[in-house]
Amino acid sequence: MRKFFNVFSRHNTWLLFALYCAISIFFIKLQNDDTITRVRTGGIEFSAFITDKLLSYSYLLNLKQENDRLMQVNTDLLAKVINLDAAVTDERNSRKITADSTLNASSFIMARVVSRRFSDRENMLLIDAGWKKGIRKDMTVLTPQGLVGRVTTVSENYARVMPVIHTDFKVCVVSDKSGSIGVLSWSGGREFVAQMEHVPISSSLKVNEEIVTSDFSTFSARGIPVGRVVRITPDKLFYTVDVRLAVDFSSLNQVLVAPLKIEPEKAVMTSDNTTEEPIP
Amino acid sequence: MLLCIVSLLQVFGLSHFTIFDVSPDAISLLLAFIAVTIGQRAGTSFGFAAGVITGLMSGNMGLSMLARTVEGFIAGFFNIPENSHATSKQKTKRMYWAVMTATFSANAIFAAGYNPLGLSPFYRILVLGLLESLLTLILAFIAKRLLMRKTFSD
Repeated sequence: MRKFFNVFSRHNTWLLFALYCAISIFFIKLQNDDTITRVRTGGIEFSAFITDKLLSYSYLLNLKQENDRLMQVNTDLLAKVINLDAAVTDERNSRKITADSTLNASSFIMARVVSRRFSDRENMLLIDAGWKKGIRKDMTVLTPQGLVGRVTTVSENYARVMPVIHTDFKVCVVSDKSGSIGVLSWSGGREFVAQMEHVPISSSLKVNEEIVTSDFSTFSARGIPVGRVVRITPDKLFYTVDVRLAVDFSSLNQVLVAPLKIEPEKAVMTSDNTTEEPIP
Repeated sequence: MLLCIVSLLQVFGLSHFTIFDVSPDAISLLLAFIAVTIGQRAGTSFGFAAGVITGLMSGNMGLSMLARTVEGFIAGFFNIPENSHATSKQKTKRMYWAVMTATFSANAIFAAGYNPLGLSPFYRILVLGLLESLLTLILAFIAKRLLMRKTFSD
């Protein structure tokens, strides 16, 4: 007996180790036992609970960072959506213009209105096409609906357009039915009504007649719709004619620029200092 | 108490800092420290207790108990007796060896008994075991510098 105790006290570490190993192996063997399984399940639940709590705290700590990240993502997405929307609108507008059968859009230069200055006296448009794209001074700017104006200044990539609704703008027009000729100008005020001047009282112009540009114009091609007669007021010698403009300037965003009308001989002939050739 | 804290730290903290799915083992470090400074019996008993705690949390109780017990027992072979005249360097060296061998043996037992991903035993035991031992050794190096400087002095 003493021997046994001596051995036990001398090798107690080994015995303890063996005991612990035996218990461990016993637990391994009972791995699928109900009680052990329940203990394990309880342990896992406890572990999961702690992990969940820790994660929720770390989530709260990182909330601001997460919010900032989401805000950045939102901003990026918003920018993408805006860009896509703009591209879709541009594409739709350009299709609308090219689809119009009354105009041969292939010889025209397409441009987008990028800036505008509107007032009751002077209006000005800026388009995103300049001399690089072939834009020249005095080119006619129009849409399928009608005349918009004329190019006044050109830079490399942009051009300034004086629209019909500018007090300095004038264009020779003619009515499609009666053939009455006049000069269209805008005297300020409402942006959709212009005045047709110099229509003699003898003219047979009627309300609702369509007005188009005439061949007399120095810059514009003939036949471009301008508007429709809405009111005729007789004066002493001339009618005062109100024309409702064909183009809606309030929603103008895509325009066409017509090629320059080159008629040097006509310009020479109409200028004051022409020297008439002697009749043979 | 310290064992509980370290176990919680290991399960919920250090186990998330992984390299190739292997993390340093703070429990191994503690067991090695106990076994080296107090003795093999204490190391074995603490190992068993650590196995119970980590087994409860991980759900692999029997295997965890066995691995940790073996870990504490093996680390005990590097015990430094109280009346030792070893230099600080020798003591530190023993401590590092204890950490390395204890971690590696525990990992080998875990690998033998639990291999849910079906990895090859060579990779699981040798590669991952050595990597874990190395990471724990780095942890031991840091702990020695910060906390155990006095314990391993001359």
